[in-house]
Amino acid sequence: MRLELGNIFIKDLQFGPETKVEKGILYVNKEELLKEVSGDEKVKSIDFDIVHPGDSARIIPVKDVIEPRVKVEGKGGIFPGFISKVDTVGSGRTNVLKGAAVVTTGKIVGFQEGIIDMSGEGAKYTPFSKTHNLVITCEVNDDVKQHEHEEAIRMIGLKAAAYLGKAGKDVQPDEVKTYETLPLLEQVKKYPNLPKVVYVYMLQSQGLLHDTYVYGVDAKKIIPTFIYPTEVFDGAILSGNCVSACDKNPTYVHLNHPIIEDLYDRDGKDINFLGCVITNENVYLADKERSSNCTAKLVEFLGADAAIISEEGFGNPDADLVMNCNKIEEKGIKTVLVTDEYAGRDGASQSLADSTPKGNAVVTAGNANELVVLKAMDKVIGHPEAANIIAGGYSGSLRPDGSIEAELQVITGCTSEVGFNYLSAKGF
Amino acid sequence: MLNLVEKLIIITNNPLSKEFFNDKYEVQFINGSLMDVLIKVRDLIHKGYVLLTHPLMGSVKPNQTPYKTVAISKLPKDKTDEQSVLVIENSIQTAQKLIKSKPYKKWPEEVLEDFRVIDLELIKSIF
Repeated sequence: MRLELGNIFIKDLQFGPETKVEKGILYVNKEELLKEVSGDEKVKSIDFDIVHPGDSARIIPVKDVIEPRVKVEGKGGIFPGFISKVDTVGSGRTNVLKGAAVVTTGKIVGFQEGIIDMSGEGAKYTPFSKTHNLVITCEVNDDVKQHEHEEAIRMIGLKAAAYLGKAGKDVQPDEVKTYETLPLLEQVKKYPNLPKVVYVYMLQSQGLLHDTYVYGVDAKKIIPTFIYPTEVFDGAILSGNCVSACDKNPTYVHLNHPIIEDLYDRDGKDINFLGCVITNENVYLADKERSSNCTAKLVEFLGADAAIISEEGFGNPDADLVMNCNKIEEKGIKTVLVTDEYAGRDGASQSLADSTPKGNAVVTAGNANELVVLKAMDKVIGHPEAANIIAGGYSGSLRPDGSIEAELQVITGCTSEVGFNYLSAKGF
Repeated sequence: MLNLVEKLIIITNNPLSKEFFNDKYEVQFINGSLMDVLIKVRDLIHKGYVLLTHPLMGSVKPNQTPYKTVAISKLPKDKTDEQSVLVIENSIQTAQKLIKSKPYKKWPEEVLEDFRVIDLELIKSIF
């Protein structure tokens, strides 16, 4: 399966009379966009804002971040199972409005975190302070239940991103990147002397507000399966996850998956990247046993010499991570784990809720308990009252000057467990 | 999904879970904290009951939500289940660490209701 990603670099985002991309500027017709995303009876109001890198602006609480993409050639359309039919995606050409993002905010539950600061200290911790963001604030009717609320906002975000993506359909991309994975036996033959690597892609699937979808299917109901990495770039996997701002994978991150991109970079150089095995993180312990058994079986069946395993979330998923590690290692296949940590303010406590001696190669994305001070912003978009709850509640405290002292875990994407973040350690 | 032959007991301090499961399963309601629930579960595991759901389910941390629902086997085995011991002990240790690092705050009632709903919905996902 071969996919070309045509990146159109977006330098600015503005409202205008026509939705189009011109000279690197994405113009958005507000009325047309509203027409495109509205229609759900549960939704009371929808508002749009635009924020740019460097603005004194805070978005809170962030639900999802989505990159506008459009299918130009090849089967299917973007976000199969939701926006498009369920054709297998991942081949042909997809154009990307690189530098633009749709950010949805929604206070689905009262304790929701998720901050994007466009400037100041907080901006250093989130990758979404570097994108030009179209922010969608939507309010629902009072009688709407949490799961309906989540679904309504999820669909509005996906529709908006698909609508904006269409503006790039006939635009000549600034760069084209090609990614290819061959059917297994051919891929193995292509680089016969290089170690064969599989990516075990764990998806958050614990239940309400903790869901991920694969071609429209709730990931808690899948058994582990193989997926071509390029399918992910077309939105085959997307987020319905609203909790744990710092280490959930927004849809944007699935679309720009850094582990997959890095494995492709090294494919043919020092590894042979065979593809992805997707698996879930359920609540029921028997599901964990079944899924980790299937995952290990599939990784072995694919003939992997090594597997990279990433998790999404903390606590319960640590058990899945450890089971996957143990069972894959027991088959003589080396593993590298990717996670983040809840290691206390000083980073000195046990980082995960589970561990294994076989987990002897682990990459950390940072300590979510570390403290940060977020300065007051001129503009707060979304639901400013959420800031008061976060500030007054568990995660931080509101200072007299309006700044917030909080743990890193309130910042969207800051300890991304697939490495889509900035925290790192350097040795000198 | 729950194995249809599995019989279980619900241990919870969440009134919503109690109400939902009461006429379907045996429910042991704990009039106490999240930690009290975990300790009750640990005690039962040492008596031979098997843990069925992960005690740290959900990304809402144990020092955020005051509510917890856990499912264990209906009948004890002759021998303590080692895997259950490991999971509950790790969970207790993790919960203690986070609560010590940042204790609970007093949440408004509507936020508490959200915590109750999330706890119930996550445990319902196994059925």
